[in-house]
Amino acid sequence: MGNETKSNGASSLGGGGGGFRAKMEHYVYSGEKKHVLAGIGIFTVIFGIPWYLMNRGSNNHRSHQDYMEKADKARKARLSSSPSPSSDNQIHAVNDPLTQGFPCPYKHNSAMSEPVAQSFGLCLLGFILKGFYEILEAMGMASMNSSGESLKLCVFDLRRGQNEGQELDKILFFYPPDVTFSTQLSVIGLSEGLITFTRLFSPEAACEVIEAERHSHVFHEAEPDIWMVMVVEKNKEIEAIWRVDALQKVLKEVHSLFVMFHGSIRSLLDKEPSGGLIRSHLYPFITDYLNDLSVGKKLQLPSFRETLKERGTVQMLTLARDAALEVQSLVGVLDSCAGTLRCHSVILFHDLLVSTTLSPDDTVDLFTFSVMRLTSNALSSGTSSWSYLRKGTSLSQTSSKSTSPQLLVSSDSLPSGNGHDAGRVIRPLQHNKWIKGKDGFLVTDIWGKDATPTIWLHQRQERVHLLAYQQKCLTLVLLVPTEAIVNGELDISFVKHQVIENATAKILKVEEKLSKGWGGENAYHVSGYRYLLVDNDMEVSRASPSGKVATLAKETLLAVNKLRETVDTEKSRTKEEKDMEICIRAKNNAWAIARVTRGKELYMALEKASDTLLDATDSVQSFSNRYCNGTFSMD
Amino acid sequence: SSDTALVNLLVLSFSNAGMKEKNSATTASTLGRILATCSKQAKDYGSCVASIVHEIEKDLCLKQFLALKSCMQHTVKIMSPRPSSSQTSVGSGALSHAYIQHPSLRCNVPESRGLFYDDANRLLICVTSSQVFSWETATFNPDVSPSVDSIPEGPILSVRFSLDKKVIAVQRSDCEIQFFHRETKQTLTHKCRAGSESLLGFFWSDSPLCDLAVVKTSGMDLFACDSAMNLRLVETKKVNVNWYIYTHESRLVLLASGLQCKTITGFQLSTAGVVRLPKFEMTLASTESNSKPIISAGDVHLVTVYGRIYCVQVDMEAMLLHTYRFYRDAVVQQGSLPIYSSKLSVSVVDNLLLVHQIDAKVVIIYDLFVDSRAPVSAPLPLLWRGYQGSDTSPQAASKENESPESSTSSENIVMYEDAWTFLVPDLILDQTNKVLWRVHLDLEASWLAISASSSDRTSLLEFLQRRKLEANKAKQLCLGIARALILERRPATQVTQAIDVLVTAYSYSVKAGIYKELKNGKTTATIPTNDGASPDNERGRASGSSLDEEEEEVEMNLPSGPADEQQESQLSSPAISPDELYKFVFASVEEMMVEESDYLVAIITEFLRSISAEKLKVDLNIYVMTIRLLARSKRFAELSLFTANKIIEPSKEVALQLLESGGQDPRVRKLGLDMLRQLSLHHEYISSLVQDGYYLEALRYAQKRKVTSVRSSLFLEAAFASNDMQHLAAILRVLSELIPGFKETSEYYTFHGLLNETSSSVAV
Repeated sequence: MGNETKSNGASSLGGGGGGFRAKMEHYVYSGEKKHVLAGIGIFTVIFGIPWYLMNRGSNNHRSHQDYMEKADKARKARLSSSPSPSSDNQIHAVNDPLTQGFPCPYKHNSAMSEPVAQSFGLCLLGFILKGFYEILEAMGMASMNSSGESLKLCVFDLRRGQNEGQELDKILFFYPPDVTFSTQLSVIGLSEGLITFTRLFSPEAACEVIEAERHSHVFHEAEPDIWMVMVVEKNKEIEAIWRVDALQKVLKEVHSLFVMFHGSIRSLLDKEPSGGLIRSHLYPFITDYLNDLSVGKKLQLPSFRETLKERGTVQMLTLARDAALEVQSLVGVLDSCAGTLRCHSVILFHDLLVSTTLSPDDTVDLFTFSVMRLTSNALSSGTSSWSYLRKGTSLSQTSSKSTSPQLLVSSDSLPSGNGHDAGRVIRPLQHNKWIKGKDGFLVTDIWGKDATPTIWLHQRQERVHLLAYQQKCLTLVLLVPTEAIVNGELDISFVKHQVIENATAKILKVEEKLSKGWGGENAYHVSGYRYLLVDNDMEVSRASPSGKVATLAKETLLAVNKLRETVDTEKSRTKEEKDMEICIRAKNNAWAIARVTRGKELYMALEKASDTLLDATDSVQSFSNRYCNGTFSMD
Repeated sequence: SSDTALVNLLVLSFSNAGMKEKNSATTASTLGRILATCSKQAKDYGSCVASIVHEIEKDLCLKQFLALKSCMQHTVKIMSPRPSSSQTSVGSGALSHAYIQHPSLRCNVPESRGLFYDDANRLLICVTSSQVFSWETATFNPDVSPSVDSIPEGPILSVRFSLDKKVIAVQRSDCEIQFFHRETKQTLTHKCRAGSESLLGFFWSDSPLCDLAVVKTSGMDLFACDSAMNLRLVETKKVNVNWYIYTHESRLVLLASGLQCKTITGFQLSTAGVVRLPKFEMTLASTESNSKPIISAGDVHLVTVYGRIYCVQVDMEAMLLHTYRFYRDAVVQQGSLPIYSSKLSVSVVDNLLLVHQIDAKVVIIYDLFVDSRAPVSAPLPLLWRGYQGSDTSPQAASKENESPESSTSSENIVMYEDAWTFLVPDLILDQTNKVLWRVHLDLEASWLAISASSSDRTSLLEFLQRRKLEANKAKQLCLGIARALILERRPATQVTQAIDVLVTAYSYSVKAGIYKELKNGKTTATIPTNDGASPDNERGRASGSSLDEEEEEVEMNLPSGPADEQQESQLSSPAISPDELYKFVFASVEEMMVEESDYLVAIITEFLRSISAEKLKVDLNIYVMTIRLLARSKRFAELSLFTANKIIEPSKEVALQLLESGGQDPRVRKLGLDMLRQLSLHHEYISSLVQDGYYLEALRYAQKRKVTSVRSSLFLEAAFASNDMQHLAAILRVLSELIPGFKETSEYYTFHGLLNETSSSVAV
């Protein structure tokens, strides 16, 4: 299985790999640390040449033909609709219906398209790096076997610490905090080396992931030259199987939440170039965030169990037209609560979004935060936590209380020698800090006593005050422009008063209407289907309830995970949105099906063992017609 | 409050001007000019209002108000080229809510011995010694020639035609009524017992029980009358009667008894039968000088407004006008209105109560619908007006050639002469001049006055929506107010309330069958104008009496004779349909609200909510407009929310607008494409897909749906432009299967040739 997860689309080149590795060993196996960068330089020269040749668009029959053959085989398999039991996870169909229906003479002769060439190149590169990294790992330089911690997370700035002896300056955040600086430096040094190396070939988008024997390095360039790297241990436990994209989404999420509260990392660095400010902000923030992920004493990363979920999207409540009109009418009232300056608002019901006036990006950030800390479920933390996002970690909600002291103890021992001790650092993600006040507004002392939280809106590039109001399961997040608040808390209480005066009747009405139409936790369950629907344009997703997904067999989930990885790879290959359909037959004869069409994705697991591929696609078709307005109906 | 009143006033006249000019772009400057011209008057009025803001009476700043109003009217008139509201008037200030208008109905009968009014048939009757002239007043056409009947000579105390107009009944003395059949010339004399009782009067009835009621001092006799004019006594109601009043529109007769005549027994002789109302006492204050005042018949009036029957009673000692409302088994006193004159009369115009303070020569208007007993407007004199020059009223137009006469007749009009008799509901009989006038209401003036006195536009709209007589004008005013509310950027809650009022009023009138689209070409003749149809919820709210909910109203079966119709007005109801609201309010303000599309979207959302709550439909152009507004302010997330929740209902026009707005955001364009697909608008969907470069998907879709209407060259050119020969070949192949005979077209040859040129090994 370990072999399985490692192969990242590069398996077609498996034959040549041994040679590369041998050569690399020859150059690098001197055992000296200094030689690592030199080695990278050598690789650059050696492999830059074939890369250049490839990019010139010369023929690349081998890979392309491979691909086409594979497709042909899959097509045949599909038409015969008898699953071949030979391999455990086999791609059965990469569907391009037009060429499939009409065999075309150009198929084998056509020049290889640019993305294919590029991906081939990257595959090759990835392979080289893997080998390279494995060596480093073997040399103990990456020192990944420390303290039984399965996760490392670091944030560093490439623009800092350029001179020898100042390397420590690069590090903005490191988790776990108790590892030695040399370990921190080695992780960051390695990551930097990889980034520098891959940038040679792909200046726009450097490396995203390095898969090694025992670890995965997941990279995310959060801001220009500010990188977040997550190193996860590949445990022999089977649970430690993840999708790189899902891990990257974690990095993205923590970063965009940070920006929402504190502004960009770069801006904090500019404010105080010594870096103390940003460190004192990043440390508690990411620690608080990771608290949410912890189960027992371990951090639980989104594994294949959560493959039918999409982090970084919003889950919406479906509304009937009359309810939607009531909601919009309420939104209209909230908009004008601060006089002439328009307020923004986000309304949630349970943990689902009802309405927003923000851009999709901002909506996602605020939605994520609200579901984490503000909604009725979050407030009654743990007791009956239900959420699309966090059902899987509902145990952690209760257990986190026991673990958080452990993590926070270390926050006290935060290196205060960073030169920044000016005032309190606000920790917006602190647990159990929000309570519902008498007037229905949620209050917190995170921002200080009687202080109103402010957040940064990305799209409008403005800072706004955040007011949250709760009526039973309805949560209203009102964002008041800072320009509207001239007299501080006086104006805030005026806005609150306006809300209570003008909107209370409407809030009650909306709450009543939504409660009446509320279908419960399993409202979006479609019997017989386990699905995930993603709309990338609006950053909205909808999935089968996690309780239902949990009934799926492990093999099925693994197959879906695999499927999603395949789609991720396909998507990253080309910027253009294109239609695709992929079906995978899992070990237990379940079907995992993906359909992608112009920004919308549908993933589905069908566990009826007797189904042929034809049955399975019919099921998808009827699902699409019934629940997605026919978006995914292609044939 | 002075500020608001003032601003209201200014803005209203401003929107008024805008409405007339139909040129909204100039309204802003109009307001500016009005303000500039009338600044002094405005200041005066404002400071006057401010100084007496705690006073109760409304007319204290009348002088200042009149000055300001006339100044503004003057300014507006100067600015608007068409003299649309020009009218000749007499009286000071030329301002009034109520007026009588030329031409009047003249009874130029020589040797006239008296004028009578038969309210059941709405006949003006003029008698000479041996002849009866009768004019129809329902149409109020001065040209109509009277019908003439001969009757034997004798004294005439009153005259009433039977309801089928075949019999003329003439009261000769206090114990004799004579009946004359107009066709058979048959005569019958009815006498009561002389000495023991005397005849007070009589009236015809359409109740199934009886045809004629004769009121005597000893009670009321009900007679049935057959075609041969035989009277048969059906029933006798024994009451001691001092005097009685009866109006045909309420079918209610009140018999007064007792020393002070304040004990009232009432009967309703409606088509449902004869109903006896509970006996009740009228309120009378007593003073030292007059410890036992007596109510006379002239002090009590029966008033029918909004289908309810009220009785108003003058209490001269207390200087109050008491109102009572009649229910089937209860009479409830409703409150009192102040009076300012020793002589008083009332008329009802368009469900509004006009109280003529005869000594003061002013009219005060009350709207009994609402709880408050505050007058609708300040007291203003009754005016005389010439015909309206450029008005659309056909009656006025036809009478234009008689204008010289009107000017001559205008000279001898004296307002509130002693000889004036106020007839039910809205007529004034001038006994000396032998002229009959109808009282009209100047909606615009009263509207202006109301809005000057209160800033509550909602109640103003409600008031206007209740108007029936000048429905068209009320409608225009409502539209103007709605527009003004939006243009003034009033708080959304206020605008919402206003919109709710208009939408509910429309919904109600549709349900009640009052509202008819003009384009149906139906005349008002078919439209029931049953006054009894006031909405239940409003009725309950209006009176606040607990009896009200439990008890039915007496006048449930009020008949609506053809005479009720208002033929000079084309509309029967000022209700505004959602389509009209869109067209005349939202669409017309869109251009001016470019900068504030957020606000407008909020208003439109409220409008949609309102019509959705009433289950009405609206012109889909409002959705197109909403999309335009949202796209203009770049609120694409909300746009997708609106589309997903079907707040914007899908339609072809909406989809095309989404595609157009999607030029700025591809996500919006996708919404449009999805909508096209869901609506099965194959042709548009495929064309748009190709336009976006998704020609393969488009072709696949075309192939699946067998759509051949899309030009095949679209696909081919798209594929050729993308320089993908493989696709081009596939497309050629699909098209030749899809379209019969495609292989014979020139397109096929062109692209097939191109394909061959590119690659010699091609074989399609």
